[in-house]
Amino acid sequence: MSEILTKAGLRELAKEWIAQGKVVAGPVQVKPGLVLYAALASADDMVWEGFVRPANSAKELVFPRHELLCRYRTEGNRVELTNGGAEVPAQILLGVRPCDAAALPILDHVFNWDYRDDSYNRRREATTVVTLACASYDESCFCTSVGLGPQAERGSDVMLFDLGEEVEVRCLTDKGRALFAGKTQTSQRTAPPAKGPEPRFSPQRIKQFVDEHFTSPLWQDDTLACLGCGACAYNCPTCHCFDIVDEGNGQHGERVRNWDSCQFAQFTLHASGHNPRPDQGSRQRQRVLHKFSIYPEKFGEILCTGCGNCTRNCPEGQGMLTLLRGIEHAL
Amino acid sequence: MSEVSKFEPKIVAYVCNWCTYLGADLAGTTRLEYPANVRIVRLPCTGRIDFNLLVKALEIGADAVLVSGCHPGDCHYTAGNYHARRRWMLFRELLDTLGFDLRRIHFTWISAAEGRKWQEEITRITEETRKLGPYRELYQKNGFRRPPAPLPSAKPPAPAKSDMAAQEQQLRETCTRLLTDRTVQVVIGYGAGGPVFIRRAEDAGKLVWNMDCQANLTTYLKRKEIQRLGKAAVVVKGCDERGLVILEKESQIDRQTLRVVGMACEGMGQPKCDTCEVHQPRFADEIIGETADVAPGFSPAPATLKGGATATQPLDTLMQMSPAERMSFWAQEFERCVKCYACRQVCPLCYCERCIADKNRPVAIDTSATPKGNFAWHITRAFHLAGRCVGCGECTRACPAGIPLELLNLTMARAAEKHFAYRAGMDPQAEPLIGSYALTDKEDFIR
Repeated sequence: MSEILTKAGLRELAKEWIAQGKVVAGPVQVKPGLVLYAALASADDMVWEGFVRPANSAKELVFPRHELLCRYRTEGNRVELTNGGAEVPAQILLGVRPCDAAALPILDHVFNWDYRDDSYNRRREATTVVTLACASYDESCFCTSVGLGPQAERGSDVMLFDLGEEVEVRCLTDKGRALFAGKTQTSQRTAPPAKGPEPRFSPQRIKQFVDEHFTSPLWQDDTLACLGCGACAYNCPTCHCFDIVDEGNGQHGERVRNWDSCQFAQFTLHASGHNPRPDQGSRQRQRVLHKFSIYPEKFGEILCTGCGNCTRNCPEGQGMLTLLRGIEHAL
Repeated sequence: MSEVSKFEPKIVAYVCNWCTYLGADLAGTTRLEYPANVRIVRLPCTGRIDFNLLVKALEIGADAVLVSGCHPGDCHYTAGNYHARRRWMLFRELLDTLGFDLRRIHFTWISAAEGRKWQEEITRITEETRKLGPYRELYQKNGFRRPPAPLPSAKPPAPAKSDMAAQEQQLRETCTRLLTDRTVQVVIGYGAGGPVFIRRAEDAGKLVWNMDCQANLTTYLKRKEIQRLGKAAVVVKGCDERGLVILEKESQIDRQTLRVVGMACEGMGQPKCDTCEVHQPRFADEIIGETADVAPGFSPAPATLKGGATATQPLDTLMQMSPAERMSFWAQEFERCVKCYACRQVCPLCYCERCIADKNRPVAIDTSATPKGNFAWHITRAFHLAGRCVGCGECTRACPAGIPLELLNLTMARAAEKHFAYRAGMDPQAEPLIGSYALTDKEDFIR
């Protein structure tokens, strides 16, 4: 027994949500060959098939690339701060992939660790995650190597399974049930289990290698092709580094936070001019270390969901998988 | 009273210290009256004016801007105004493509003796701007509705050209020789999974030549990690090779030590390949293969293309829209920019040790992915490549957000061709476009 809904019915439901003032975000065809997650102006804009996954990540909808923290105004010795923390509307992430959904509980750790991050939590609490299980994968996908898979439920409030004309709806949380209560029909049809990509590496072995080989020549040799842009980190569901800057002048302005990436030379540049990570090798090493050693040690989880966006977006066809397979090869 | 009649335009004038500022001063001391709408910013020379300043003035509420300096021949620094004039010709074209309202952007020559001209020009600009009303279109994205995108069509991979296998074999042999006789220590080439850096002759078999060889490898010449490997050979296509001409002119490479392995190429299936004129490498030390699609030399004639298309077609379509529509188009495109700087990093000609976008004491370009921050970055990127961009298209290929950066580059290339019959990277003898000037540069837009 299962609960199902026609795809047309789901679209109607999405229209209802938008009409209620909720933000509904999902995969949108931006131009031929490019699908991105974005807030839907209309439920008709959402695309279902013809792509493996969007080229960006859904994290951007709970942790935007640019966010106002507060406004400031100075007068004499007085500084007046107005909190930028406006109300965020209820938000539904519709049709996100399991690798995007799984990233959210992973990110929850770092945004609620020594400091409870209001901006993040406000959006996170207002968000319901309606995940569409994967029906396909490509050579960049490696979710099964990090303990996830095409039907992984982690981080989802609702799981949808494509049955052709219909979708099977499995509500996993009260938040999810509230969205679909009374909207589905009971059916005998149920989605079969799906097979993901073959595992490509073992995270335990990667951790062991990075912990023991901080000075290995591999870090330099295998990262020569890296040009030091942020395309991998900015489209990664789990990368979460940011920079806080003041924009404005001495009298008034805004304090904002913008994404930042460990792949930029400026990321670790000291005021003295010294840079503790002087080359791309050490920056790539940091990326692997953070994802497969530092984060697991601190929070017990790998900071990677195997979505493969790093490879898809790399101008030079590199990405996490290239380096990890190099490490597996070296072991 | 209606809102229009209450509107008082704000005009920012960037003037040079030696002529126009004194001209404005003269207007004051001779008691000439002119509208109080103008705010003067005094700079040493028009040649010193960073054009981002104009954009900044509009962002913070100016309704019009003016740049004014010494008449040709009168520059205190001999030629600052000539440099400004040439840069201005190109910058106007960029602003036009981006949809800025050029009626709000003015350029004049006013000498220290022309107090009256200052009075007249300020009066005229104020009157004109008052008629135009406040500049509300700036960075507005609602004036243009994109037609719905067609569904993704699975583009079949272009079939490999028949002689590519033979070229690959010859490439490997050539690189084996260069490494064996120690001519070079590293070969920067294409491998199966992206760029490879071959340091031992026995690894030359990892080099490939196929339809995936799209990247422009000359960008690695600027990377310290690669420079450390020693003398290099780089595998290039005819289009990539054009960048080397610029890099050499700008003293970024030493052609005495760099070996260039040029591959004859009939196209990699990218849009730029349909309009390519340099299928056959021209300056490489080793040329591998031969193609019937021969370069037409250094002729500044507009590109003639396969299938009747023209290189400027997508740009022509854009330019048929109104400026406000163009601005909305770009505001929507830039809205997707995440500021990953992949466009900068893949560009062989973006080699600054510290990019202006990374300057943070004080900040020159907002790091925020806001309309302001995005326009500032894309204007700077495109304009820094004016007369330098060779159209390799790597920025567009690298952009994860699919922003059509090639249209901005094409604008600059077309302006260079139109005004100066100059095409970057075609003629090794040509003077760099920016950094030189001619007394005959036109100035029909300068009053």
